[in-house]
Formats: sequence, structure tokens, C-alpha cells
Amino acid sequence: MSDGVFAVVGLFDNAQELLQAIPRVRARSLGRVEAYTPYPVHGIDAALGLRRSPLAGMVLVAGMIGAATALFFQWWMTAVDYPIVVGGKALFSWQAFVPIMFEVTVLFATFTAGLGMLFLMNRLPFFGHPLLSSKAIAAVTRDKFGLAIEAQGEAFDVEAAKTALTAAGATTLEVLPFQRELVPLQFMTRAAMGIFVSCVVAGYAMYWVIKLFPVLPPMVHMEDQPKLNPQKASAFFKDGHGMQLPVDGTVARGPLPYLIATQEEAAGLVNPLPRTHRVLQEGRTVYNQHCAVCHGLLGTGTPSLTSAYGAKPANLQGQTIRDYPDGKIYHVIMKGKNAMPSYAADLTEEERWAVVHYVRVLQRAQNARDEDFQ
Amino acid sequence: MSPRPTLAWILAALGAVGVVAALFGASPERFWANWLLWFLFVLTIGLGSLFIVALGHLVGARWSVPIRRAPERLSGLVVLAAPMALIALLSLPVLYPWARPEGALHPAIAGKAPWLNVPFFAIRVVVCFALWGLAYRILVGGSMKQDQTRDPAFSVRARRFAPAFMVIFGLTITLVAFDWISSLEPEWYSDIFGVYLFAGTFLAGLGASALVVIYLVEHGRLPGVTNDHLYNLGGFMFAFTVFWSYIGFAQYLLMWYGNMPEEIFWYKQRIEGPWLNVVLLLAVVHFLVPFFALIPRGTKGDPRGLRWVAMLVLAAHFLDLYWLILPVVGTSPPLSWPEISFALCFLGLTLLWVDRAMRSGADMPVGDPLLQEGLEFRL
Repeated sequence: MSDGVFAVVGLFDNAQELLQAIPRVRARSLGRVEAYTPYPVHGIDAALGLRRSPLAGMVLVAGMIGAATALFFQWWMTAVDYPIVVGGKALFSWQAFVPIMFEVTVLFATFTAGLGMLFLMNRLPFFGHPLLSSKAIAAVTRDKFGLAIEAQGEAFDVEAAKTALTAAGATTLEVLPFQRELVPLQFMTRAAMGIFVSCVVAGYAMYWVIKLFPVLPPMVHMEDQPKLNPQKASAFFKDGHGMQLPVDGTVARGPLPYLIATQEEAAGLVNPLPRTHRVLQEGRTVYNQHCAVCHGLLGTGTPSLTSAYGAKPANLQGQTIRDYPDGKIYHVIMKGKNAMPSYAADLTEEERWAVVHYVRVLQRAQNARDEDFQ
Repeated sequence: MSPRPTLAWILAALGAVGVVAALFGASPERFWANWLLWFLFVLTIGLGSLFIVALGHLVGARWSVPIRRAPERLSGLVVLAAPMALIALLSLPVLYPWARPEGALHPAIAGKAPWLNVPFFAIRVVVCFALWGLAYRILVGGSMKQDQTRDPAFSVRARRFAPAFMVIFGLTITLVAFDWISSLEPEWYSDIFGVYLFAGTFLAGLGASALVVIYLVEHGRLPGVTNDHLYNLGGFMFAFTVFWSYIGFAQYLLMWYGNMPEEIFWYKQRIEGPWLNVVLLLAVVHFLVPFFALIPRGTKGDPRGLRWVAMLVLAAHFLDLYWLILPVVGTSPPLSWPEISFALCFLGLTLLWVDRAMRSGADMPVGDPLLQEGLEFRL
């Protein structure tokens, strides 16, 4: 029985003796054979029978998983979950994803390489190699070459290992005790719990300190920036308004502000839409959705609403409105009249003018001329 | 390099007939674009090899000393490229808009007239070749002479000259990229283009050098050179495959993002229509295949594997130049008898040139004091 023995180390004077000794010691099959040398010795991997490390393959696979993950996440975020067109590019713009794919590939690969090295090569959670607290460490980091037979299981025979190393030409022998108590598992568990608890405590402490003693307000740039507040004058412009009129000569890329104040001024507006089938259909749809509830499907007004609103909806078939120019009807849609509210916010400019066309159709249908019947 | 130089002679002669026929039979744009393509292919193999030689001296590398004669001999291709460059000057009014009278009418081109004009262009070409010739004399000529004299003073001199060569090389390779390739479309510009061509040039030099080294090793002419030496060449190839892709994609990404008309037209010409196939093929043979082929240790240190990759890298560099230059000729990639004739002719000429170079001097720099240390190199 060899309780508490990690390995037996023998020292050799030069690399040549070490390389010759390795096969002889390995032939005894006493335990795992490991060499400690002050510098890399050519051919020692083959002599020790070290298998090719699986780490390289793991890193390759991890890197590919990283690339695929980055591609999938970016595709999901930009093209599926929250699609926003940026800079006129397609939602799935692989070109923009490549730098991040590259970074995540490197991240996954290096983490695999680093952690893999710690767990596979350094055999975590194996802290503190017994060799580090031996006498042999001074020799093998200077000018001697160490060969160790590591204990595997309970049946390890220390004396046999010593004999084998001496027979192979080792000058000095040392038995390395297994430092089981160096970092006990219980300590590691406690340390991990302690780190977790300290993080939680520190987090809460920071939160309350900053909240109660606002010496250093954290990250308030977004709150502090100049911005428009509702119901408050803006400091951006002299008139205190946040919204401003476009400067002179602005080329419209959408509707311009409606600056006409009275219905009389609006009389001169010309309907920009052609009287096509499509426009009239759009006008009918919008009229039936927004206007017909008060003005009636034929434009004659719905009297039932009078009691509720105290005012009678205008009869669009009346002579006054039939004599209106298009602009006056448009102005009422924009600004409202009497009890009617403005529909500027509900209808687009095209829809308003389409409704004007449709109102004209309704009027003509109810007041047909002779030539309409031919 | 070929054991049967007669075959190379036949190739070159057959091709030469086709080249002469193309001068009269094909459109002048196509003839000169092919000429420019092959001139730059030969030049970049030579320059890349010269760079490898200088790099070894610069960093005082030991491992590369036994195989240094391969890039030294290949850098003689710069000499072959010199007459090709002088003849290529005739292509200026055909291929380059700034060299034609109507170039002055375009404001962007007229603004670049102080730089892009025929006399100054010719001066730059001559100065570049003079500098390369000087570097070739110092680095390669000196090394050949050292075979006899065994004078270690050359090694010191080469190491002192190498930093100066790096400056010269950096400037001149950028001039090659900007003058010969980028100014084919003078409205377009890209700051990184010189680096892009450098990456391809270095890869071409590595590919050609690896082929020569593997050939010599298999014929027992480089005793003591092991797979570990090849492994380093393969490692370099792997690194610069990635570097080329990085630079090439960085240039594309910025222009794609910016989408400015003065930049993006260059890519639209090279990505739209049939050229899309070429650029996809380029991505496969210049990045994907060499990248994954060179990842395993086995390929880098194995002569058979590395030879295939080296040939692929050379072919990919040629395709890269083809993709850079030929779109000025037309909207579809030309591949017919003129291209094949040019390939036969200049491939044959290059092989003959290299074959002749292979007979000059020893196969290893036997006079270099670091040779023994280089032979003992192990991974």
C-alpha cells in the first residue's frame, strides 16, 4: 500500500540519459510516466507516448460554433425579431455580420483553448502540483532532467518504482507525497459561496450608496441631454416651440405643414389627384370608414346624431357645399368645422384629396344632369 | 525547374504565336489587359520572393537559411518583368482613361493629372525597377557571391540593408498597386489597396518558393531540409491567406457600408453579372480551401499536401489579378484563345526563366555562416 504517494521522481544528468531511460521505465508499466525538463527536449513526446492533444479539434469546432452562433443571432435580431431597415440595406446583410462573426469565432475558440488547457492539460481542479513543493523542483528547473512514475490506484508499489528508476540510471530519487489537503473541496465550495455573497452584497451596497448619497450620479447622460419636454418651453428656439417650420426652399419629401388659416384662403387649392378608378375607390373606402358615420353613406347627413352632439352634420348634398370649390372641402377635413373635429391626423394627404373626389361623385350621383343618362 | 525544358519551349512558342495573333486579332483593350495581367503576375511572384529573402535577413531567421536559395532564384523574375513593364507602357493610352486626351475633361481625373500623367508614370516605373534591381544585386547577387567567398561580411551587410529594403518595398508595392491596377479606373481610390496587393504578392512568393523547395527536396538536392522547414512555409501561407481575406473584406465592407457612388461602382463592376461567379470562386480558392486545408498540422509539414496548396495559392493569386484587371475590358469575364495563348506563352517563359535560374549557384547558400544552425532547425 502506498497511501498518500503521488509519484516517485528520479533525476538524470542529461537529456540523452533521460530519453534512453523512458522506454525502459515505461516497459515496467508501474504507473503513468511523466518527464520534467528544464527546456523542451526534441522527441520526448514520442518517447513518452503522448497522444495528439484533442484540444486543436475542440478549438476548431468551438470556433465554427461561434461563427454560426453570431450569424444566427444577428439574423434573428435584425431580420426576424426586430426588423429595421438601416441605411437602405437589406435586413439580412451578411456583410455587416462578418466582423461580429469573426469576433465571436475568436472568442469561442480562445475560451475553449484556455479552459481546455486548464482542465485537460493542467487537470483542474488539481491545484498545486506536488512537484512544486519537492526538492527536485530546484534541480529540474536548472540542470537536471526528472522522470516520474505517478501512482495510479491503490496498487502502486513505491519500492518497485524506485528500483525501476535506479535501474534506468536515475541518480537521485524522491517520493512525492500527494498533497490531498492543499486545496480541499470544502474550501473551494466555501470560496465560491463567499465570492457570490460578496458580489451580491457589493451590488446592493453600491445601489443604495449611489441612491442615498448622489455624489457621483451614475450614467445620467441620457437624462441630462437637451431635449423637448411636453408642456414646457424648449430652449432650442427663440419662440420656445420644439417644432419649427421648414426653412425656405425646402424640397418636400413628404407633406409640408398646412399653413392656411381660413376656409376662404383654401378656396384656391387644386386637387392634385387624378380622377381615376383607383383614387375614387380609395376615396370611397376612407369616406365609408371615417365620414359616413355622421354624413351618411350618401352625404345627406345622419340626423340621429344631432341629439348626441347638439349640432346637425352638414348635408353634403346641400347647395352650399355643392358650390364649394375643392379646397374648401379639403380645409374642413384638415381643420374641422363647428362640431366636426380635424381629421388631419387620421388621414394622409392623399386620402383627404381622394375623399374630396368621392364627395364630388356622391353629389353628382344625387344631382345627375341630363347627359349623365345617355 | 522542369526536367524537360523542351516542353516549356514548345508551350512558350505555341503561346507566342497566339499572342502575336491576339495583337492583330483581338481588341487592343483585351490584348493589353492580358499583357498587364501576366506582367503583374510575373512581377508579383518575383517581388514576393525578394520580400521573403529580405524578411529572413531582417529578422535574422535561422530556419529559412537552407531554403533561402529558392526565393533568391525566383526573385530573378523581377528582371524578366522589367522588359514586360516597358512594353506595358504602350498600353497606357489603351487601358488608362487618364492617359487619353478625353481624360482631361473629367474633373476627378483632371484633378489627379499632376500624378497621373504619362511621363511621371514612366519615371515611377523606371525608378521602381531600379530600386528592385539594386535590392536584387545586394541581397541575391551578394548571396550568390558568398557561395565562393564564404565571407560572413555579406550576412551583416544584408541584415543592415533589409530594413531599408522594407521601406523601399512598402512604397514600391503600393505604387504598383495604385499605378498599374487602381488607376485603370482613376475615379476610384482605396487607401488599403497597396496592402491588399502586398498580401497577394507575399502569398504568391510563398507559393512559388514552396513549390521550388518541395521539388528540390524530392530530387534530393536539399539534404538536411526537413518537413519542419516546410511547416514554416505552410504556416506563413496560412497566416497570409487569412491576412489577404481580412484586408480584402475590410476594403469591401467599408465601401459596401458607405455605398458612395465614387467608390461602389468599382465593386458593382466586379460583383454584378457573370463576374459574380469569378468573385465567388476567388473567395473559395483564395480563402476557404487554403484556410481549411492548412489548419491541420499534417498539410503544412507534408510535401504532397503542401504542394497542392502552394499551386492553389498561386492560381488564386492569378485569379485575384484577373478579377482586378479584366473587368475594365467587359462585363463578362473573357476566356478564349487570347487568354489561353497568353497563359501558354508566359507560363512557358516563366518556367524557362526559373529553370535557367535553378542552374545558377548552389542549391543552398553554402557560404552563409547560419546554414548549419538552419539545418538543425526543428519545430
